[in-house]
Amino acid sequence: MSSKKNVDDPHAILQKELGDAYDFDPADPMAGLTTADMSGNKLTRRTVLRLMAASGTLTAASLLPGIFTPGEAYASGPSGGTLRCGWAGTPELPTLDPAQINMVLLFQVSSNVLSGLTHIDADLVSRGDLAESWEVFSGGTEYVFKLRQGVTFHNGDSFTADDVLYTYNRSKNPDNSIHSRVLNNVQSVEKVDSHTVRFKLGKPQASFLTKTLERASGRAMTIVSQGAIESMGTAQYGLTPVGTGPFKVTEHTLGQGVVLEKFENYYDPERPKLDKVTITPINEAEPLAAALEAGDIQLIGGNPVAPELVDRFVENPDIVVNEIAGPGFQSVWLNPWRDPFKVPDFSKPVSELMKENGFKVRLAIAKGLDRDRYIKQAQFGRAIPAYGTINPAMGFYFDKTLPETSGQRYDLEEARQLLADAGYPDGKGFPELHLICTATAKREVTVIANILKKNLNITVKPAVKDWPVLLEHFQKMDFDMLRVGSGGDYDPDDGVVDWMQTSSKFNGRNRDKEKMPFGFFSDPEVDALIAEQSAMADIEKRRDIIHKVDRLTSDKVASVFLYHPKDILVHHKSVNFPAVSRIPGLVDLDRTTIS
Amino acid sequence: MLRYLSRRLLGAIFVMWVVAMLVFFMMRIVPGDPFEAMLFDSGDPAAAEELRKKFGLDQPAHIQYLIWQWNTLHGEFGFSIYGSHQPVSRLIAEALPRTLSLAGLSFFLAVLIAVPAGIIAATRRNTGADYTVTVFAFIGLSMPEFWVAILLIIFFAAHLHWLPAIGYVPLSEGFWPWFSHLILPAVAVGTGFSAIMARMIRSSMIEVLKTDYMRLARSKGLSQQALTMYHALPNALIPVVTVMGISFALLMAGAVVVENVFAIKGLGRLLIQGILNRDYPLVQGTILVVSAIFVFSNLLVDLLYTIIDPRIRYDK
Repeated sequence: MSSKKNVDDPHAILQKELGDAYDFDPADPMAGLTTADMSGNKLTRRTVLRLMAASGTLTAASLLPGIFTPGEAYASGPSGGTLRCGWAGTPELPTLDPAQINMVLLFQVSSNVLSGLTHIDADLVSRGDLAESWEVFSGGTEYVFKLRQGVTFHNGDSFTADDVLYTYNRSKNPDNSIHSRVLNNVQSVEKVDSHTVRFKLGKPQASFLTKTLERASGRAMTIVSQGAIESMGTAQYGLTPVGTGPFKVTEHTLGQGVVLEKFENYYDPERPKLDKVTITPINEAEPLAAALEAGDIQLIGGNPVAPELVDRFVENPDIVVNEIAGPGFQSVWLNPWRDPFKVPDFSKPVSELMKENGFKVRLAIAKGLDRDRYIKQAQFGRAIPAYGTINPAMGFYFDKTLPETSGQRYDLEEARQLLADAGYPDGKGFPELHLICTATAKREVTVIANILKKNLNITVKPAVKDWPVLLEHFQKMDFDMLRVGSGGDYDPDDGVVDWMQTSSKFNGRNRDKEKMPFGFFSDPEVDALIAEQSAMADIEKRRDIIHKVDRLTSDKVASVFLYHPKDILVHHKSVNFPAVSRIPGLVDLDRTTIS
Repeated sequence: MLRYLSRRLLGAIFVMWVVAMLVFFMMRIVPGDPFEAMLFDSGDPAAAEELRKKFGLDQPAHIQYLIWQWNTLHGEFGFSIYGSHQPVSRLIAEALPRTLSLAGLSFFLAVLIAVPAGIIAATRRNTGADYTVTVFAFIGLSMPEFWVAILLIIFFAAHLHWLPAIGYVPLSEGFWPWFSHLILPAVAVGTGFSAIMARMIRSSMIEVLKTDYMRLARSKGLSQQALTMYHALPNALIPVVTVMGISFALLMAGAVVVENVFAIKGLGRLLIQGILNRDYPLVQGTILVVSAIFVFSNLLVDLLYTIIDPRIRYDK
C-alpha cells in the first residue's frame, strides 16, 4: 500500500493505527507511551487507541465514537444559510451566563457562543480551545497554559491572560457564580505574560482538564468578557453573553428564543459554516415533533428527545436519527435510614452486609428490577441498563464487565429468595412504599412499580412532587424511595465524586446530621478510592480504581442503578452534522452545514 | 358617576392589595426552596446563601413583605431570582403583548362565532339549526384545549404545511406573520369560549323573546331582523357581557396550556414557570398584574352596562 494511498484512505490509516495500538510490552504500565504523549493540547488518536488496547477495551468500534460513529455517513455541505433549531423540554433558556447555567440544555447553547481553555471532543478527550498547549509540573499540581494569540471577543476586545484571571476571580466568588465549588482545588491563577497563565492546584486532579476547564460542562472557567459584563450588566449578559466562540448572540427574548450569527473573527477561519442559527424552546413533545415534520425547525437540541417519538422519526425518510451512548446515569434511591432498607453501616464487606435484612431487601429490589423490561416499556428501548455511575459514553472508563458481574444483575429467583430471607416471603408483610418522582417521570415510575409488584409482589406507589419539593425530600433524606439521576457526566468525577462519596454534594446535604451520620451511602473504602483516583495522573491506574469504585457501589447497592440515557440527535436530512461534532450531550454547531 | 368610579377604584386597589398579600405569604408557605432547586447541580451552599442575601430572602417574612410593598408602591417589582435575574417588570412587559394578542384574537373569534350561533339557535328554537348549534357547542365545550391545539398543529402545520406549528411573531413584524402564528392557538383557546358564549346568548335571547315588549314589537309588524337586532339582542346582552368580561380576564392568564403547546411565553406561562421555580418576585408581580386585569375588566363590564341598557345608572 503506497503512502499516497494511505493519506487518501482514512480507513487504511485507521487499520494501521489499530494494528500499532497493540505494539507494546503488556508489562509496561505506560503501554509504550511517554509523558510527552500525555501532554500537549490533546491526546492523539494513537495515544487513545493504545491506552484502550492496553486496557483491553479496544474491542468494540463503538468505544470510539469520534472515529467509528455508527449509522449514516455525514456528508459535508456548503457554507452559509440559517439553521432553525428547536430546544426540547424547556419553556425558555433562562440564562446563557456560564456562571449561572445549571442545565445541560443551556450549556449546549453557550458552548456555541463561549470558549474555554479546553473543550472535549467526540471521544470525551480534552483538546485545547483557547489554550494552544499546556505543560504539567510539580506532580500534577501546576499547569502552565499557552493561550491562543489573535483571539477576539464578539465585541472586538482582545482575549488575553487577563480574561482568564477575570473569569477565575468572578467564578470563585459564590456571590457571582453558582460554580465556585468547582474551583475549590485551584489555589491560584497567575498571569505569566499576556498569553500565558499558571494554575496552581491544592492537589493533583485527574479531572482538571475535562471538568474544571472544559468550556461547556465545566462552566466555572468558561471565558467571559469583562468589558461586556461591565458595560451591559449581568442580567443582560445572561441573555446575550459576549464570548470568543464561533457564534455571537444577536437576539434573545426569554421564552421565544435565541438568534446566533456567525462570528466572522472566530479564531478558526474555517468555522463556523452556518451564517445564522435560531433556537426556539419548545416544552411539549408533540408540537416539537410537528414542528420538525412541518419544517419549522430542522434540528432538535435541548433535553433528550422523548423516546416515544423516536420510532416516528426513524420511519420518516426526511429525518435523520443518530443514537449514541449518552452521558449520565439514572437511579432509584433507597433510604438506608428507613425500614425496610435500613443499613446504618455500609463499610462492612458484602458478605457481612448480606446478614442484614435491610441490605437483603435493597439487593432484592435491585436484582428484581428487570431493567430490560423497564427500558422497553418506559424508555421505548432507547436506553442502556445501568449498574453503576460510570456510563458507556465515557468509553475508556466504562467497565463493560459490570453488567454481567454486578451484584445488581437481574436474577428473579435470587431476588425472591433474598426477600423471603429478610422476612417477606412472596412479599407478604412488606410495607407499602412511596417512590417520589416528578410529574414527567410518573409514567416510568409506574413501570417500575408494576415490575416490582409482578416480580416481588411488593407495592410501591408513585408520589409526584414538583422539582423543588422533590429536592427538599432528597436532600433531607425524607423519602422511602426516590427517582433522580445525573445528566452531563463527562468525567468519572461527575459520577463518583458528586454522588458516591460520603461528602458528595448530593449525598443528603440537608439531612439531620445527628440522626443520620451520612445520606444515602457511605463507605470509607469507597471514599478513599475516590480521593485517590481524583488525584491520579496515570489514567490507566485511575481507570482501574474507578472500576473498583463502580463495582463496590454497585454491589453494596448505593442506589438501584437503572439506566444510562442514549444521546439521540434528530435532524432533517438537509442538515449535515459531522461526526467530529457528535459529542455526547452537546450540540456544537460550528461544523454543521445545510445542503 | 365620578363618585361611583372613585369607590370602585378604591375597591379595586383594596382587592389587589389583599390578593398580593395572600400570594406573598402563601408562596412562602409552599414547600420547596428556590435556591436549593436552582443550585442542585452546583451543590454549593455558600452560593445559595449569597443569593438568599442578594434577594433579601434571609430576612423575616414580614420584613420581606414590607420591603416588597414599598418597592411595589414605587413601581419596582424586583428581579426574577431564577436564571439571569431579569427585572420582573421587563418579563411582564414582554409577556403582556403576546397574551393580549392571543386573548384578543381568541376573544374576537369566540364572539364572531358565538353571537350569530346563539342568535340562530334562539330564534329558531327546536329546529335543526338550534340542534346543530347545541351539538357543536357541546363538542366545543367537551374538547380539552391542549387536545384541540395538538390536533390543529398536526393537521394544519405538520400535514398541510399551511401554518407554522409553534412560536410567536410580534405585530410589528407584519400582519401575516403575526396572524399566521396566532390563528391556531386562538382557535384552540376560542373554541371553548365561543361554545360558552353561544349557549349564554341562546338562553338569554330565549328569555327576552318571551317578554311582553317583544310581543308588542312583533304585533307592531316589525321585521324579524329588526326585532332580533334592535330589541332582543341588546336586552339579551347584559348577562352575556358579564360572561364575556370574565372570559377575557380568564384568557389573559388562563391560556397557559395553549401557550405551552405553541411555545408562546405569555402571562400564564410566566406565572406557571414562576410557581414551578419558586420565583417569588416573578409570581408576586405577575399575580398583581393579573388581578389588576380581572378587577379592571369587571369595572369595564359594569360601565358597559350603562351603554347597553340606558336604565342602568351609577350616579345615585
